[in-house]
Amino acid sequence: MGLLSKEDKEYLKNEFDKIKKDVSILFVTTDDEKKCEQCDNVRQIIDELTALSKSISFREIDINSEELKQYSVEMAPAMVLLNNGNGNIKYYGVPSGYEFSSLIDDIVDLGTGEIELDDEVRSELEGIEDKIHIRVFVTPTCPYCPAAVRIAHKFAMINPNIKADMIESYEFTEMADKYKVQGVPRVVINETVSFEGALPENEYLVKIKESL
Amino acid sequence: MQLNINKKKKTEESSRYDAVIIGGGPAGLTSAIYLSRARFKTLLIEEMIPGGQAATSDMLENYPGFPGGIEGPKLGSLMEEQAKRFDTDIIYDSVKSIDTDGDVKKVILPKREIEADTIIIASGAKPRKLNVPGADKFDGKGISYCATCDGALFKDKNIVIIGCGNSAVEEGLFLLRFVKSITFIQDLPNLTAEAILKERIKEKENVKLTFNNKVISINGEDSIESVTVKKTDTGEEKTVPAEGIFIYIGFTPNTEFLPGTIDLEKGYVKTDDKLRTNIDGIYAAGDVRVKTLRQVATAVGDGALAGFNAVKYLENIKEVNNG
Repeated sequence: MGLLSKEDKEYLKNEFDKIKKDVSILFVTTDDEKKCEQCDNVRQIIDELTALSKSISFREIDINSEELKQYSVEMAPAMVLLNNGNGNIKYYGVPSGYEFSSLIDDIVDLGTGEIELDDEVRSELEGIEDKIHIRVFVTPTCPYCPAAVRIAHKFAMINPNIKADMIESYEFTEMADKYKVQGVPRVVINETVSFEGALPENEYLVKIKESL
Repeated sequence: MQLNINKKKKTEESSRYDAVIIGGGPAGLTSAIYLSRARFKTLLIEEMIPGGQAATSDMLENYPGFPGGIEGPKLGSLMEEQAKRFDTDIIYDSVKSIDTDGDVKKVILPKREIEADTIIIASGAKPRKLNVPGADKFDGKGISYCATCDGALFKDKNIVIIGCGNSAVEEGLFLLRFVKSITFIQDLPNLTAEAILKERIKEKENVKLTFNNKVISINGEDSIESVTVKKTDTGEEKTVPAEGIFIYIGFTPNTEFLPGTIDLEKGYVKTDDKLRTNIDGIYAAGDVRVKTLRQVATAVGDGALAGFNAVKYLENIKEVNNG
C-alpha cells in the first residue's frame, strides 16, 4: 500500500497544479549502508511525489560527488531543494510525519514563487549580506516543528545568503547531541544564538540579527 | 512511516462571517460542523494544527467509536476533514484580541479584522508550567511538556515525571518505549489516573512511584542532574537523580486574547448551561471553560452544545433583522 491515501493524493495534485516553474530536488545518499538505513524511506516519499506531478524532479546523488561540493552537504540522507540554482534549503533525514507538510509547502512556494512573509520582515531579510546558517532540529512527531522549519526555509528562499537546514534529531543523534538538543524545535543560528519553540517571523528575524 | 499533511484551504479573503470559532481542537471543530450544517457562514481560526492538545497525544483510548484507540493527530485531521466537508472555512493564524462591543463582534488577527455575529471561544488550554527554581533554566533543555515531541531524545535516560493524573501516566507508558527508567513524583498520596492506567504502570519494572513529595527545585550545571523534593507530611528533603523531566501538573487556559469584559473564574471562561458567556452572542466550549472534566469526549459535547445554541442565536437575530 502506498503512503498516501486517495484524498491526500487528490489534495496534493491540486496543490502541485499551482506550480509554474519546475522544482528540482537533489536526493543525497551515501554508500555507507548503515547511514543510509533511511534512504529507502526517502525514495518511497520521492516516488509518491513524482507520481503526482511532472513539475517536481528528484535526482539521486552521492554525498562525495564533485557536483555536490558547492552545496556543502554535511550528512546523508539529505534533500537539497534548488532555489534558483542555490542549494541553501535542506532536509537532513526523512521528512516524514509533520515534516512532510513542510516539504510540500516548500515545493509549492518554490514552484509558484509566492512566498508569504510579512512585508517588513521580507525587506529586512533582503538586506542581509552576511552569511547566515540556521539549523532547525525537529522530530517527525512534533506538531510545533514545521512552523520553525518553514520560517527558516522561507527566509532562505528570499535571501541566498541564508542557509536553512531541517535536521531530524533521531536520525542524526551525534549532531543533535553536539547542539544539545533536548527539546524540539530547537533552532541554532550561526552557532551563536539558539532558542526552543516556534517563534513568529519577526521574532525569528530578531534572533538572526542577534547572531550577526 | 507516517506522512501528515496540513491541508491549508485557501479561503476567499472574506472579512464577514456569521460565526467565528477560535480554536481548532475537538470542541471548535465540532461547533464548526454544527454551524456549517445549519448553513451559516463559519470561519474557524486555528493557531497550530487541527486537533488541539489531542493532536499531541500518541493514542486516545477513551474516545468512543475507536475500539483499538486512535492516534491524536489522526483524530484531529478527521474532524477537520468533516468540518470542511460542510464548508467551514479554516485559516491558520493567531487571534490577538476580540472586540465584544456592539452587535457585530470583531476578531482581530495580526494583519486583519474579521466581523461576526457570534463567536465561539474554543481556544483550549496549554500545559501548566512548573514554577520552582531551575524550571525556567531547563525549559526545553531537559524539561519537556510534550512526550510525543521529545520522548525519543531521552533514549536510555533515567527520567522523572511530575504529576499523577491521566496525562502523566499515559505519557509515562509511551515514554517507556525510549527511556531506561521513570520515577513518578507527586504531592498526593496516590495516583489519580484511571484504574486501567494505574494497573498498566504498576506492572512495569523500571517505574518507581513516589507519593507525598513536593518538588522544590530542579538542579544541574549544564544539564539536569536531579530534582529536590520535600515530603508533604514530615518536611524531609531528598534528592532524586534525573536526566530529563516531563511535567503533567494540569493546564492553563488560553485566554490571553480575551477582553476583560468576559467573565472568568480562576482564568477559565464562565458559561451557563447553554455555554453562553456573560456577553450576548459569545459562547465558550471545551477546555477553556470552567468544567469538571477536560477530555476529547467532553470537548465534543461542548462543541455540539455551543454550536447548536449559536445556531439558535443566529436564527433569532436574522429573523429580527428580516422582520
